[in-house]
Amino acid sequence: MDDATAQASRIDGYAAALLDVARAEGDTGGLTDEIYRAGHALAGNSELIDVLADARVPAERKQGIIDDLLGKRASRVTVAAINFVVAAGQARHLSDIATRLADLAAEVEGEVVAEVRAPMELDAEQIERLTAALSSATGRRVQVKVVIDPTVLGGLVAKVGDTVLDGSVQNRFDELREQWG
Amino acid sequence: MLTHVFAQVVLAQNAELILSQAEGGGGAAFLLPVPEELFAGIIAFSIVFFFVWKWAIPVLNKTLEARQAAIAGELETAENAKVEAESLLRDYRQQVAGAKDEASKILADARDAGEAVKGDIIARAEGEAQQIKTRASDEIAAERERAVAGLRRQVADLSLVVAAKVVESTLDADTQRDLVDRYIDELGGVK
Repeated sequence: MDDATAQASRIDGYAAALLDVARAEGDTGGLTDEIYRAGHALAGNSELIDVLADARVPAERKQGIIDDLLGKRASRVTVAAINFVVAAGQARHLSDIATRLADLAAEVEGEVVAEVRAPMELDAEQIERLTAALSSATGRRVQVKVVIDPTVLGGLVAKVGDTVLDGSVQNRFDELREQWG
Repeated sequence: MLTHVFAQVVLAQNAELILSQAEGGGGAAFLLPVPEELFAGIIAFSIVFFFVWKWAIPVLNKTLEARQAAIAGELETAENAKVEAESLLRDYRQQVAGAKDEASKILADARDAGEAVKGDIIARAEGEAQQIKTRASDEIAAERERAVAGLRRQVADLSLVVAAKVVESTLDADTQRDLVDRYIDELGGVK
């Protein structure tokens, strides 16, 4: 087994463990969504991830940072789950584990995850319409997971499996750059 | 020839004898030999003449003829040698003329070959110079195009960076929501 396969297997294992925790807590959908969003939010800050992945930084210090960042915004179980992953030395794979967790939870429901990147939070009505639109566009039942990403500038980017639907302002700029270049 | 001389001497003596008798024989008779002596002289002379005519003259003639033949042979040999020399001279002149022609031809060929090589070298040099010039022009044009494209890319990047900053600072929550809603509507139209 090569390194990539071993790492993929490890990510599957952690994701499955977190899914079991969510099930045990009786809130699979809510906790999965929260862990997904928290994991991607932390992973979006590379300097923070460098600190969390640094073996020289004491575990208590890492836990303190995570508590400070998530303590008032996420549930106790979510904070504990993130601390568990970081303490296990998997901070650099936090977003992969969160994504795999969401995929596993969606598979249980017969759905696929649509990772949506937007510069701001979407409200419930927007998520509902987006879910319907993506399900219609892909022909599959989708579960929308929103990740806040300021680099999108405006609009949103939706990724369902290997399909990317890019309606971001940044993408318009990239298209203009291609045309002018 | 000698026979002819003897005949003339005899005739002259007879003529003097006749002349003296015709003049009366008085004063000149003492000059003339007596007939017997004259007769004996004639006989002796005839005998001598006979021997001379019979053996000496043929030998002499033979010697003269041999000499004449030798001289004629030598003349003929000389003539042949002269003819041969003239022939050799003619051949030599022809050879010299041929050699001159050959030398002229070789010189002409060498000159032509030299001209051809010179022309070839000049043509090749001109071709290479043209190629270098064309290559240099192409490289200059390509470099200019690269520079223009790079400049255009930089201007585009800068413009887009500025535009992104402007958009980022001017997009308020309502506009963001409007953008998201519009894209969701677009997605809803995709089947």
